[in-house]
Amino acid sequence: MSEYVLELKGITKTFPGVTALDHVQFQLKPGEIHALMGENGAGKSTFIKVITGVHQPDAGTIFLNGQEVEIRNPKEAKARGIAAIYQHVTCYPDLSVTENIFMGHEKVQKGTKRIRWKEMHEEANLLLKELGAKFDSKATMGTLSVAEQQIVEIAKALSTNAKIIIMDEPTAALTRNESEELYRITEKLRDHGTSIIFISHRFEDMYRLASKVTVFRDAKYIGTWGISEISNENLIVAMVGREIKQLFPKLEAKIGEEVLRVESLGRTGFFADISFYLRKGEILGLTGLVGAGRSEVCQALFGIAPADKGRIFINGKETRIADPLDAMKQGIGYLPEDRQQQGLILSWGIDKNITLPALARLSNKGWVNRKKETELASNLSKKVNVKTPSIFNLVSSLSGGNQQKVAVAKLLTSDLNIIILDEPTKGVDVGAKSAIYEIISGLARQGYAIIMVSSEMPEVLGMSDRILVMREGRQTAELEKSSATQEAILEAAMSNKNDSVIDEAAG
Amino acid sequence: MEDLNKKKFSLTSFFLQWEWMLVILFILVNIVNINLSPYYFTFGGLRDATMTFLDKAFIVFPMVLIMILRDIDISVASIVALASVLMGYLYSLGVPMELAVVICLATGALCGFINGLLIVKFKELSAVIVTLSTMIIYRGIAYIILEDQSVGSFPEWFGFFGWGYFYGIPFILIAFVILAVVFSLLLHQTTFGRRIYAIGNNPTATRFSGVQVDKMKLIVFTLAGLMSAVTALFLTSRMGSTRPNVATGYELDVIAMVVLGGISTAGGKGRMLGAVIAVFLIGFLRYGLGLINMPAQVLMIIIGLLLVIAVMVPNLKPKAKAKTKASKSPSHQAAG
Repeated sequence: MSEYVLELKGITKTFPGVTALDHVQFQLKPGEIHALMGENGAGKSTFIKVITGVHQPDAGTIFLNGQEVEIRNPKEAKARGIAAIYQHVTCYPDLSVTENIFMGHEKVQKGTKRIRWKEMHEEANLLLKELGAKFDSKATMGTLSVAEQQIVEIAKALSTNAKIIIMDEPTAALTRNESEELYRITEKLRDHGTSIIFISHRFEDMYRLASKVTVFRDAKYIGTWGISEISNENLIVAMVGREIKQLFPKLEAKIGEEVLRVESLGRTGFFADISFYLRKGEILGLTGLVGAGRSEVCQALFGIAPADKGRIFINGKETRIADPLDAMKQGIGYLPEDRQQQGLILSWGIDKNITLPALARLSNKGWVNRKKETELASNLSKKVNVKTPSIFNLVSSLSGGNQQKVAVAKLLTSDLNIIILDEPTKGVDVGAKSAIYEIISGLARQGYAIIMVSSEMPEVLGMSDRILVMREGRQTAELEKSSATQEAILEAAMSNKNDSVIDEAAG
Repeated sequence: MEDLNKKKFSLTSFFLQWEWMLVILFILVNIVNINLSPYYFTFGGLRDATMTFLDKAFIVFPMVLIMILRDIDISVASIVALASVLMGYLYSLGVPMELAVVICLATGALCGFINGLLIVKFKELSAVIVTLSTMIIYRGIAYIILEDQSVGSFPEWFGFFGWGYFYGIPFILIAFVILAVVFSLLLHQTTFGRRIYAIGNNPTATRFSGVQVDKMKLIVFTLAGLMSAVTALFLTSRMGSTRPNVATGYELDVIAMVVLGGISTAGGKGRMLGAVIAVFLIGFLRYGLGLINMPAQVLMIIIGLLLVIAVMVPNLKPKAKAKTKASKSPSHQAAG
């Protein structure tokens, strides 16, 4: 018997034009939680796909319990006890929990092929109980929260007797409490002897759970360390290959007059009694747990789902915002949370994406002026430092960080005073994060008034001049930069006063 | 570094365009036709052939826009019938023909506007379902107006739409070419066209970019109604009379031409030129095979085969690309 349940040596995988993995290695002990870290594009996803049989390596060997094996397809991986759980849960929302758990390996009566529902429901409930779930196996998958759906995915992995479970950014969409719950379950699995490969961009996940960490960078294996052997700084250096001196390059901006004032703004079922003001050059951090109504407030200000109560003043004048075009005309821009679905047209070039909001300005009586368009796109692309050989390249070919820069560049095409950024660094790797902070800080210095929605505490504390905390649709605190601490924010975000305005049905 | 602002021109990708495929098919169809029938390649014959298939082609223009928007409109043939029948009926009641023509156009636009309004207001309903319902309703109203009768004997000038010549060229051909240029420019050179492509690719991101998506849809569907009424004018003029069952099946012919023209059924892709070539491709194919008395069923099979090729070929290219890309952007397939 080998020391390792899973060992990979010299794994190389190339795709036309790209080396996705270059002689990487990895060792996993039984009952170990092993963090796998690296920037986006470091090769983690391809590596996972090699283990789960989606891709075949061009070179290298895989050992399972000391035996050399070949994993030719996902079915073989499953048969060998390897399961993967992804950040975006891949489920069937209209089917029951049981059906989701047993999808592909249903319990079937021999001969008649009748599905043995009762047995399946019982076993599903047993698994759910073991995992501490508070819902029944007959519940419809789509009615569950993301965290609950992940528990179902874990149950699914267990139902196939998985010995190795790969978790790909499982906490990305979870709140703090839900993450805690996931930590607990993961530790329980470990204690039962399951080995876990844990991929995450959050350092706290890694420190909380893992005993070992392996880092990939630019398709290469960089190293493996015990969690206590490596400092946070050294880990970042390993990941990005350079030292990030200042993660939050917040420069002092001159704060000017008030440009936006909101008085007891509300939208029935989503948020109520939101009041704040925003000044030129100021960054207002808007934080709270996921689902606290932060995005809804922003979307009301941008006219996507207008507020039905309260008043909005822009430059001292009361106004209404009917739709996004209206908002842009009044000087408000919005960077959506989901850049792939809401922010960009992935199948388009960088140039056309950047100019989409400004077409009216780039045309004469409706005729698009291509020359002016290319000029503007090229200037803005340079300004936000998009790394690309040509501005005609498709946005889908860019990394997450560079995509986000293109989305920011779109805001700069219009004549705006107020910019709302909804989770501007979500899913962006460490190196690109700092570049985006630099852009945001630069915008504030240019006199833009900025609202920055964020769930990441260090980001909120590092970038904001003032911080507004929301919980369950209400604002619970407004903190000055000087007095804001992680503890104060957390308390305001989680305090258990029972006055939620969020409809259960709506959430 | 200068290259950053210049698009690279690649000869291979220029010739790999779907439009070239259509041009080759078009030449092939003509070679076959010439060999099949000695009567085919005469100027008069070809010229007059255009008169018989171009009437429905006016709907192809707005249908291209609609399908790029990722929608569809199957009520267009019913709008043709309703607009035509109403025009004929009003004329038979003594309304001047000039006014009847204007009402015909207005009716078409109104029908299209109603389609657009329903699609925009009831987002949970797909365009297929909405226009399937209005398809039945519009045709039903046409039957209520005329029951099973036909009206005709229009004034002589009205025949010009279907039978008129301008310096020896059919008026319908001139109208078609002019509108083809207008719609091409609209789609490919204006902000309006750019926004249509944007909506077809990602409606949410387009809305978040300050484009009034609902308004755009409303305009495009109204345009489809209006162009259906234009078809009604030419069709009624050529036939000299109208009945509630005119233009039956036109919606499928039009959609076939658009798809053959390389407009993606998934929205966001395709060009006006392709659809225009496809109109002539199908039209000449039909005319040539008609000359040698090929049964209509065989013709349908040939058009069907062409369509299968049309939807398959563009799908093969992106798939090959996607395979190479899969490594960079994880698609989150469930491995378990």
